[in-house]
Amino acid sequence: MSLSNLIKNWSSLRVKRPYEDQYKDKDYKWAMVIDLDACTGCNACTTACYAENNLPVVGREAFSKGQAMHWLRIERYWGEGEHMDKFPDHGAQFLPMMCQQCESAPCEVVCPVGATHHTPDGLNSQVYNRCIGSRYCSANCPYKVRYFNWWQYPERAWPNPLEQQLNPDVTVRSKGVMEKCTFCVQRLTEAKNRARTEGRRVADGEVTTACAQACPTSAITFGNLADDKSQVARIWERQQIKLASDKQEKDENLRGYRIFEELRTYPSVVYLERVRDSEA
Amino acid sequence: MKVRMKNILVWLSLLVLCGTATGEPFVQGGAIGSQTDDGYNALGPVVEQPIEFPHNTHAGQMGINCMYCHTYARRSAVSGIPRLDKCMGCHKLIESVKDKPRIKKLFEYWEKKEPIPWKKVHDLPDFVRFNHERHIQRFYFREDRPVREVCGYCHGDVASMTTARRVKALSMGWCVSCHQKDHLENAATTKTSNGPNDCWQCHK
Ligand code: HEC
Ligand code: HEC
Ligand code: HEC
Ligand code: HEC
Ligand code: HEC
Repeated sequence: MSLSNLIKNWSSLRVKRPYEDQYKDKDYKWAMVIDLDACTGCNACTTACYAENNLPVVGREAFSKGQAMHWLRIERYWGEGEHMDKFPDHGAQFLPMMCQQCESAPCEVVCPVGATHHTPDGLNSQVYNRCIGSRYCSANCPYKVRYFNWWQYPERAWPNPLEQQLNPDVTVRSKGVMEKCTFCVQRLTEAKNRARTEGRRVADGEVTTACAQACPTSAITFGNLADDKSQVARIWERQQIKLASDKQEKDENLRGYRIFEELRTYPSVVYLERVRDSEA
Repeated sequence: MKVRMKNILVWLSLLVLCGTATGEPFVQGGAIGSQTDDGYNALGPVVEQPIEFPHNTHAGQMGINCMYCHTYARRSAVSGIPRLDKCMGCHKLIESVKDKPRIKKLFEYWEKKEPIPWKKVHDLPDFVRFNHERHIQRFYFREDRPVREVCGYCHGDVASMTTARRVKALSMGWCVSCHQKDHLENAATTKTSNGPNDCWQCHK
C-alpha cells in the first residue's frame, strides 16, 4: 500500500469517532443484538465459535493461567444484596462477551505495526500475518476480548487426524499472534461475494455468525445496521440506541444498552437487559 | 507534551508501515535472472507434471476457451483443473495422437480409474484470501475483455506455454498496485473504481 494511499485513507483506517448516522450511506455496517433474557448460559455459541474459527482448546493448565482462546466467553454474574438473599436459587446471570467491534476502537490506535484496522463495513480487522505480538491492543481493550497465542497450539490442539476439521477459510494462527472475534468475517465475505455477482446487497438473514446460528433460544441477532429494514436495525431503533452516541437519550423502560458506552468506544453490540420477576 | 507524544507515535507507526509500503515495483527475491516482463524478480520454478500438458496446442492453436477446462474461474474462488473425463471426451475420438506416449499415459490413468495428480503451480500463502470469481466477473463479464488477456494479467500468456509456469510476482505489492489503478466499472461507462485496499479483503 503506497504512502499516498495510506494518507488518503487515514481517516477511514483510524476512525476517531463516528458521526451521526454516517454508516447509513454505506452498504454494510455489521451489528448485533444479544437478548440476555433469552440467554440460558448453555455455551452453544462458544462451542460453535470454536468450530467455526479454528480456536484451539488449550487444556486445563493453560486455562487456569488465563490463556484460554475463547473469542466468545460466557460471563457469569452472581447477584448481590437483598435480591440474592431472598432468591438464592436464582443463580447466575449470563452475559456472552465477545469483541464489540467498536466504531472508535481503543485497540486500533495503539497497534505499532497497523495490524488492526477498521474495515469499511465497520469491523475491527486483525491481520495475523502483520501482527508482531506487542499485545498493546489487548492491554488497551476495555472488554478484554483479545486473546494471545502464548504457545504453538495447532499441533497440540488438533493432532492427526483432527486437523481435518479445520475451517479452510480461516487462518490457523501460530505462536505470538493476537486474535479476537471477527463477526465470522469469512462468512460475511462469502455472502458479499455472492451478492456482488448478482448485483445486489446482502439480504437480511442471508448470513449470520456461527454463535447466532447455534443459539437454541435465538438470543443473538446479527445483521446489517445500514439496511434499516433488517432485524438488528429495527431492534436498535426500537431500543432507541444510536451508534454515534456515548450517552443514550432513551426511554427508561427500554432494556437495550451498550457496555462501557461512556468510554466512547461506540460498540456495535447491543445487549437487552434481563428481566427479573422479583416475586417469582 | 501528551499530544506531542501521540503525534510522534503516529509518525513512528506511519514510518513502520512505509517500510513495506513504498518502493514500487516491489522487487521480490526470486532467483537472479528471473526477471518477469513487468519488472519483478519473480519467475516461478518449473514444476514437473505427471503429463506434460501442452496449453499451446489446446488453448493456443485450437483456441479452446480457458474456461472450458477451468470451469469454476467465473463462479468460485478457485479455478480448478479439469477432470480426466473432460480430456477423455476428446481424446477417445482423436486417432491422430492416440499412440503418442503422453496420450498413452492419459489412457493408463483412465483405465486405472485414477485422477491425474497435477501439482499446484500458483500457490499463495494460506493467510491470503484470493477470489477468481470477482476478477473474472469484473474484467471478463463487465468490462468485456478477451479471456486470454484477463487470465494473462496474473498468469501470463499461458496459451503459449506447455504446462503452466508462474510468470507474475503474485506478491502483495504486485496485487495492490493493480488494485490502486482505476478500472472501468463496465464496458458501457467511463466510470471507474479501484480494487479493494482493505487488509481483510485479501487476508483472512
Ligand atoms: C477439445 C478437445 C480436447 C480436449 C478437451 C483435450 N484435448 Fe488434448 N488434444 C486435442 C487435440 C485435437 C490434440 C492435438 C492433435 C494433433 O496435434 O494432431 C491434443 C493433443 C494433446 C497432447 C499432445 C499429444 C502429443 O504428444 O502430440 C496431450 C499430451 C494432450 N492433448 C493432453 C490432454 C489432456 C491431459 C487433456 C485434459 C486436461 C486434454 N488433452 C484435453 C484435443 C483435446
Ligand atoms: C487477479 C489475478 C488472477 C486472474 C485474473 C486469474 N487468476 Fe488464476 N490464479 C491467481 C492466483 C493468485 C492463483 C493462486 C491461488 C491460490 O494459491 O490460492 C491462481 C490459481 C489458478 C489455478 C490453479 C487452481 C486454483 O484455482 O487455485 C488455475 C487453474 C487458474 N488460476 C486459472 C485461471 C484462469 C483460467 C483464469 C482466467 C479465466 C485465471 N486463472 C485468472 C490469480 C489470477
Ligand atoms: C484442455 C484443457 C485446458 C485448457 C483449454 C486450458 N487449460 Fe490451463 N490447465 C489444464 C491442465 C490439465 C492443467 C494442469 C497442468 C499444468 O499445471 O500445466 C492446467 C494448468 C493451468 C494453470 C496452472 C494451475 C496451477 O496449478 O497453478 C493455469 C494458470 C492455467 N492452466 C491457465 C490457463 C489459461 C489462462 C488458459 C487459456 C489460455 C488455459 N489454462 C486453458 C487444462 C487446460
Ligand atoms: C488486473 C488487476 C488486478 C490484479 C492483478 C489483482 N486484482 Fe484483485 N481485484 C481487482 C479489481 C478491479 C477488483 C474489484 C472487482 C469487483 O468486485 O468489481 C478486485 C477484487 C479483489 C478481491 C475481492 C474482494 C471482494 O469484494 O470480495 C480480492 C480478495 C482480490 N481482488 C485479491 C487480489 C489478490 C490477492 C491479488 C494478487 C494475487 C489480486 N487481487 C490481483 C483487480 C486486480
Ligand atoms: C490486494 C490484496 C492485499 C491487500 C489489500 C493486503 N494484502 Fe497483505 N498480502 C497479500 C498477498 C498476496 C501476500 C502474500 C505475498 C507473498 O506470497 O509473498 C501478502 C502478504 C502480507 C504480509 C507478509 C506476511 C509474510 O509472512 O510474509 C503482511 C505482513 C501483510 N500482507 C500485511 C497486510 C496489511 C497490514 C494489509 C492492510 C494494510 C494488507 N496486507 C493488505 C495481499 C494483500
